[in-house]
Amino acid sequence: MKGSSFGYLIKEGAKSIYANRLMSFASIGTLVACMLLIGASMLFSMNVNKIVGFAETQNEVVVQLEDGLDEEQIADVGLELGLVDNIYNQRFVSKDELLEEQKAKSPELEDLLTGLEGDQNPLFNYYSVRVKDLSVLTGTVMRLESISGVSAVRAPDAVAEAFSSIKRAVSVSGMFIVAILIVVSLVIIANTIKVTVFNRRKEINIMKYVGATDAFIRLPFFVEGFLLGLLSALLAFGLLWIGYNYVLDAVSLNPSAFIQSAYQNTIPFEEVALELLAWFAGGGIGIGVFGSMFFVNRYLKV
Amino acid sequence: MIEFVNVSKVYKATGTRALSNFNVSIDRGEFVFVVGPSGAGKSTFIKLLMREEKPTSGEIYVNGQNLVRLKRRKVPYYRRTLGVVFQDFRLIPTMNVYDNVAFALRVTNVSAKDIRSRVPYILGLVGLSGKAKSLPEHLSGGEQQRVALARALVNNPPLIIADEPTGNIDPDLSFEIVDLLSEINKCGTTIVMVTHEHNLVSEFDHRVITIDEGTIISDDRNRGYYDE
Repeated sequence: MKGSSFGYLIKEGAKSIYANRLMSFASIGTLVACMLLIGASMLFSMNVNKIVGFAETQNEVVVQLEDGLDEEQIADVGLELGLVDNIYNQRFVSKDELLEEQKAKSPELEDLLTGLEGDQNPLFNYYSVRVKDLSVLTGTVMRLESISGVSAVRAPDAVAEAFSSIKRAVSVSGMFIVAILIVVSLVIIANTIKVTVFNRRKEINIMKYVGATDAFIRLPFFVEGFLLGLLSALLAFGLLWIGYNYVLDAVSLNPSAFIQSAYQNTIPFEEVALELLAWFAGGGIGIGVFGSMFFVNRYLKV
Repeated sequence: MIEFVNVSKVYKATGTRALSNFNVSIDRGEFVFVVGPSGAGKSTFIKLLMREEKPTSGEIYVNGQNLVRLKRRKVPYYRRTLGVVFQDFRLIPTMNVYDNVAFALRVTNVSAKDIRSRVPYILGLVGLSGKAKSLPEHLSGGEQQRVALARALVNNPPLIIADEPTGNIDPDLSFEIVDLLSEINKCGTTIVMVTHEHNLVSEFDHRVITIDEGTIISDDRNRGYYDE
């Protein structure tokens, strides 16, 4: 194929997007709608996961120490704790500090506890730690309990249960929804392309009769599919960006403290923008090109 | 130019026997009418000539090429040596007259410079110079067929196949089209025209091959008179 006709074919592909603008509009509309739905569900489930993940880390596990350990033994427990994988941010609180903390909580408690300082202190020394992954909390608690010098471990079992099941539900249902959307999108897009190609079967037929090679017939369709896919990806990306920031802005104005703290943990669009654009462009162009090639091939057997 | 040797064609899907032991020989520069009732095998004859179908048995030679042995990827190059005109014109509706004709050249890698000189010349030949920018839908049936004819001619093919080219146009204009084909024939181009319009055939002094039930029942080489 000569350079001049290659340029001509590229132009033909671009021109036919306009010439068949109704079908082009339908293809772009379908692709954009599918990408928006998929992108929005992905962003939603990523955000829910992140927010739940953040809430998870707010949980404190109290590792209560036996009475009468000396400073060296306390430090040993601290070192042992450092070896446990699933925890971080360990902080030692002595029973004196605990007493002061409790006293500060209310005047009644202060009255009650005054005079119990020093040897009279009925409270305990403890390490406060945070758990990375709440879903394996039980195992972590058992590991902590086995450390010598530890008398008891207090963990938020119920909360852990709730958070990890929310997280699991969101990821599983998110993946499920995205998978269904992808299948539905493929079916709709395949149909749109099929109709586009079907509408132009006469044109393909004529090309065959005047002696066009298959490659010559395919190239404009290839270009068309490529451009439609790329255009749809850019459109969907832009719309998602605008829509996402709009929703985030609306959320940020909500005065509720819970929503505010959730907002602090949302994923900024810029963070996922490149990856999302790559997926959209890859998916759009891939579907556009392979879809049109697949259906054009049907009409090449003349 | 064209040689059918014991050609039979059976369509597997329907079991229809379209041609049986079909033998014909057409020389370079001839103008041949192929006539016969519908279902006689005329369309199959055309499809075999264009290598749209392969025969079930027998050999077909066009321009020294054996169409039965022709490889699939060589078919486009074979078709570039043919000019084909159809009953339904088969113009691309989104392209204007000029582009519809130029299209046949672009497909065959003719340079832009040659396209710019050949297309206007051919459009002038079929009397459509003034309509170059019109879309097919704005033309009459006769004009559309002349565009199709221009497209068939523009590659300067040694053989033109016309499949009921006058089927969709007024009788007066039909005469014009065949007249135009006759003019082209005088320049040495072989023409095979399938038709069922008897009066048209009788107006011209060309060879008439009559097909029925897949075989040739008469082959009148010397004159235009055709009698059913």
